[in-house]
Amino acid sequence: MNASELKNLNVNKTVDARGTSCPGPLLEAKKVIGTIASGEIMEVLSSDEGTKVDIPKWCNKQGHEYLGTIEENGYFRIFLKKG
Amino acid sequence: MKNSKMCLALYSGSIDKLTAAGVIISGAVANDMSIDVYVLLQGARAMLKNIAKNKDKLNMAENANLRDEFLKSCKDLNVKEWHEFFKEAKEMGDVKFHICGLAGKIWGGYKIEDFVEFADDIVGISEYITAAQEADVHLFI
Repeated sequence: MNASELKNLNVNKTVDARGTSCPGPLLEAKKVIGTIASGEIMEVLSSDEGTKVDIPKWCNKQGHEYLGTIEENGYFRIFLKKG
Repeated sequence: MKNSKMCLALYSGSIDKLTAAGVIISGAVANDMSIDVYVLLQGARAMLKNIAKNKDKLNMAENANLRDEFLKSCKDLNVKEWHEFFKEAKEMGDVKFHICGLAGKIWGGYKIEDFVEFADDIVGISEYITAAQEADVHLFI
């Protein structure tokens, strides 16, 4: 998805993991994904450079759909759909 | 890749390597791996109840002169302490900490109660060898 499509997504859950470092954002994502239903959208906010590589790989292995990343000033917004 | 097994031999009891182990265990649990940690010689000392949460009793494995910088950076970056990583990983998934019986005795730890609350049991070396044979990923730290 491109940035404007991502911005228009109806996000069901936002995980704000800014202020933590690897593996913090991944652990937060793992905890919260269990609280949403299949097909729902989750957004992970992270200021850790590694997260934007980690989350797509994690989605691929866990059966979630990685939708894309928007780079904001000093952090990333990473979108995925629960599988 | 789901539900694959990791076997980690944790020999080290130094604060930097324990932190690395904590990050690896956390990543593995986030990826739904089953993790068996076999806590060997120096690791068993670090897991003693009266030592684990006392940073002053744990050294660095490398660059001992950078200890203060390491601890300050970890604090500034909001990095958990190693035992917090271990405990949280255990709460999130299938993670077990097995203490080597011999190692425990060397440092005065005879019963599981002598170790941190997230230690599961005291085992012999054969348990570790079997787990290493059966694991998909085997690490020694």
